[in-house]
Amino acid sequence: MSDSPDHTKGVKRSSSMEDDGNGTKDSKRVKTNGKAKMDNYNPYLAHQYEDSQNDFQSPLDALERHKTTVKQASKAEDSDLNPWTNQPHSQQYFKILQTRRDLPVQKQRQEFLDMYHSSQILVFVGETGSGKTTQIPQYVLYDELPHKTGKLIACTQPRRVAAMSVAQRVANELDVELGEEVGYSIRFENKTGPKTLLKYMTDGQLLREAMHDHEMSRYSCIILDEAHERTLATDILMALLKQIADRRKDLKIIVMSATLDAQKFQTYFFGAPLLAVPGRTHPVEIFYTPEPERDYVEASVRTVLQIHATEPEGDILLFLTGEEEIEDACRRINLEVDDMIRESDAGPMKVYPLYGTLPPAQQQRIFDKAPEPLRKGGRPGRKCIVATNIAETSLTIDGIVYVVDPGFSKQKIYNPRSRVESLLVSPISKASAQQRAGRAGRTRPGKCFRLYTEKAFKKELIEQTYPEILRSNLANTVLELKKLGVEDLVHFDLMDPPAPETMMRALEELNYLACLDDDGELTRLGSLASEFPLDPALAVMLISSPEFYCSNEMLSITSLLSVPQIFVRPNNARKRADEMKQQFAHPDGDHLTLLNAYHAFKGAEQSGQDAKQWCHEHFLSFRHLSSADNVRAQLRRIMETHDIELVSTPFQDKNYYTNIRRALLAGFFMQVAMRESSNSKVYKTVKDDQLVMIHPSTVVSSPYDWVVYNEFVLTTKQYVRTVTNIRPEWLLEIAPVYYDVDTFEKGEIKSALTRVTEKVKRRQTLKGNSGR
Amino acid sequence: MSRANQPDSDDDDDEDDYMKMTFADAPATTMPETSLQRRQREKREAEIRGRVKSKAELAAEEEAKRETALSKSLLADPAVAKKSKGLAMMAKMGFTGGALGSKDSAHTARTEPIKIFVKDGREGIGLESERKRKLREAAEAAGEAAKKVKVDESEYRERMRREREEARHEKQLHAAQKVAEMMDEEKGIAPSVVAHDTAEKQSPPPPPPPGDQDKTTGEATSVDKKRPSSSRPLKSIPVIYRGLVRSREEAERNRRMRHDLEQSSSSGGGGLLARLPTFEDPEEDADDRKALGKTAAITYVTADDLDDEDEELNAFSALDAAEKLRHVVLYLREKHKYCFWCKFAYLDAEMDGCPGVEEEDHD
Repeated sequence: MSDSPDHTKGVKRSSSMEDDGNGTKDSKRVKTNGKAKMDNYNPYLAHQYEDSQNDFQSPLDALERHKTTVKQASKAEDSDLNPWTNQPHSQQYFKILQTRRDLPVQKQRQEFLDMYHSSQILVFVGETGSGKTTQIPQYVLYDELPHKTGKLIACTQPRRVAAMSVAQRVANELDVELGEEVGYSIRFENKTGPKTLLKYMTDGQLLREAMHDHEMSRYSCIILDEAHERTLATDILMALLKQIADRRKDLKIIVMSATLDAQKFQTYFFGAPLLAVPGRTHPVEIFYTPEPERDYVEASVRTVLQIHATEPEGDILLFLTGEEEIEDACRRINLEVDDMIRESDAGPMKVYPLYGTLPPAQQQRIFDKAPEPLRKGGRPGRKCIVATNIAETSLTIDGIVYVVDPGFSKQKIYNPRSRVESLLVSPISKASAQQRAGRAGRTRPGKCFRLYTEKAFKKELIEQTYPEILRSNLANTVLELKKLGVEDLVHFDLMDPPAPETMMRALEELNYLACLDDDGELTRLGSLASEFPLDPALAVMLISSPEFYCSNEMLSITSLLSVPQIFVRPNNARKRADEMKQQFAHPDGDHLTLLNAYHAFKGAEQSGQDAKQWCHEHFLSFRHLSSADNVRAQLRRIMETHDIELVSTPFQDKNYYTNIRRALLAGFFMQVAMRESSNSKVYKTVKDDQLVMIHPSTVVSSPYDWVVYNEFVLTTKQYVRTVTNIRPEWLLEIAPVYYDVDTFEKGEIKSALTRVTEKVKRRQTLKGNSGR
Repeated sequence: MSRANQPDSDDDDDEDDYMKMTFADAPATTMPETSLQRRQREKREAEIRGRVKSKAELAAEEEAKRETALSKSLLADPAVAKKSKGLAMMAKMGFTGGALGSKDSAHTARTEPIKIFVKDGREGIGLESERKRKLREAAEAAGEAAKKVKVDESEYRERMRREREEARHEKQLHAAQKVAEMMDEEKGIAPSVVAHDTAEKQSPPPPPPPGDQDKTTGEATSVDKKRPSSSRPLKSIPVIYRGLVRSREEAERNRRMRHDLEQSSSSGGGGLLARLPTFEDPEEDADDRKALGKTAAITYVTADDLDDEDEELNAFSALDAAEKLRHVVLYLREKHKYCFWCKFAYLDAEMDGCPGVEEEDHD
């Protein structure tokens, strides 16, 4: 295929591709180049051209950065030799190449390149299935030729899983090893190397990198994928890149979106040109209910069964809001289908749940084939996937023909007034509903059943889902922005600026945490805290833990709080699970219980037991404990880098647990609640005056008067989750500024704190007197 | 002690303005409490605390607190805004109110946080608003209907016309019924009834003789005399004019009762009410009654079955006047070969010469 007669020689040369960049050693590549550069050749400098002495000819040599054509790129792709590794292409590579060439984006590759060459910023719209996420970065790769410039190409993804799986896919497509030429970088995991040219990463990860490289100088091109999802990090990145683009004219930016509201992106990026690629989609017929539904779960189950009974072959995708609801629906559908098979000769149907906390192996099952008919010539089987909105954009499941959409999803929402950040079931947006419907048209014309009226669709659904930046606590973001060198947060040019109150709370919280001084400048503590990929409260807690002689323990607790819940509580064994949890329970609280469980896990591991089996027996998640272990190692490295001591109080010391409880307050003193009255189960949050209960998952049985909590959640009730008992004196001692009694509004908490202050003072006076 | 109290008192002075709305529990410790006061306060507080709130109360309180917090802008509350270091930092960056962001987005950017709606239950989208809409529509429809009655002039005319027509039919019916009765009488259908009725009609009861005693006995005898006649079955009368007979009977009964009343009232003692035939004076014992001649129960039995339910008649009465009239007209034609409209009794059943059954036919 290649016109290079001696490519086999090139195989020997496996390293130092960078040298190709200087373009002066092309003397023997007349054929590939088409134009001789002989005149540049200096035989006396031959030792510098060591590589070219091997008569090596890379398929990429003919290409000139920002001047390539599809023809050139295709030629390089078609060559027997992999231009990135200089290894021969595998058979598999050419097979994949064929399918890649059939993707919708391929048809517009030249158009894309022309636009890319002529503009610094480009907005690219491609519906799901167009191949944009895998192909566009590769098109850029063949144009940017990063091995010549030494500058990488970054492609951001909102989700860790997507970053990992897409990187793997693209590595396969390019016939390279994952982590070498193509890699990924996500929080707590970096799979890139010195050879990496194309890097998939979470948007948050790129933001973290930018904290130390304000110009993003490592990159020649940054691709923001799935920008329509409007994650917090993507929004911040867009605002930053808008600034950087002005300073760095050599930096190319591509904003990729799956929805057609790209105009907003164009306007935001100084009227950047737009390229739209149609997806490979089929028409989807949309049905509405004539009347609003009384119970949307019940209605969805009914609709699924109706489809199964009356509609021709094709898989079903049902959108629900959360684990509990999904499991409930799956159970009900399974029961009914059994009846249908018995009574009316219906085909078999496999029902698969899909939600974020499901173990990956079970998540993988959604890609299983639909079941065969029960007997030869019988009615065809189908599968039904009951999923949260992760199936809305991020996952592509082929074979879906019917979509059932009740119109709800769980959405994070934060309100600075009560400082509660919660996941609440809310109606989706019109854009979301269209996205869901589109899922039915991936393989052939499909149908979407909306469990609401057309009128409700038009009148009750908002146009676009609120971007995350409007729904989040911004403490972490503000700290990052400060570290990124953004001075004027008020006029920072975000696409959708948050409410002023949200900003005000964030600054205030950072000030109380001593990360910002009263002038809004980053303190040393703040600067250090921003080094940790953690919320400011957790970071500050970790940084101050040596003062409490328990940094090892706080490191463990921080890691455990950074992973999903480690305690497993399966529906069919709740009681036994609770009994097992009780074994680890510490009467003083959930943080200490987490620590006990972790220590037991490590103990089991070290004693040579099968950790997986041990976890299973003790109703602990091996997966989450392992990732906590990994997180711990990462954080430990950061601590060591910044000379934060790792110390422990001896376990026999009676202050072992007390020190830990006190250390918690160093970061979480703003998350404290006081019991309303002596026989009440109701607590009142300090300063925000919200009534809360302790989440039923707690191990705390005796009702303490004061607790510190990890999170404040609002479902249908207000709960504080993961709580530990503390003493009010500690508050005055550890966070005297926040607990300055003068700043409190009159009420029970103020009087309680006043009493404590007096008690402390009395005791001190007493001590002073006796000392005299 | 006194030094510890100092900041508290300052604080009270400072925040007096904003504090007026909050309840003044936890008395400020500026004034030393006497032990008695303290005991009382503690008792009071313990009582309040001691009461276990119900779940509903708690939920309501929780929600109320949340709503209060959510509805109150942190910027609008001067107490919060003044103290907020966050706001001070923002002011330093040039924040003067309004939205954040660049000038370009100033008109679209949010000034308020996104509202929180807690959804409990599994109602589908649009159910709540649909419910509200239906209520509203029902209310509107009711209002509109009320308006329509007032406004619609043609309907008023139509109703008036119908009422006039009804009245005319009623008159014609009455006439037709009388004719039918008379003709039946002549032909001898239900002779006894008709005979008696006619007799009764023609000869009202003789004026009772003067004197209480006489009157009563006289009445009694007169009733006695009539008894056989009044026991004749109303139901034997053809339904088409039974109503006529019945109302005549009722009128007769009322007339006689009124007559009795007038007679007795003139004799004084106890007034009109006390003289009602059914009146029983609780002070009277059996002897009194005997003495007053009340022993024989005064009964007014014009027709025994006057008070009975007559389903056949009820069904007939339920018809509207025009329909009743038609029935009577047909009855006359059938039984007497008489056309109510021609006012002519034909000789043969064909009633040759009569243009038809309806009034219109005779125009």
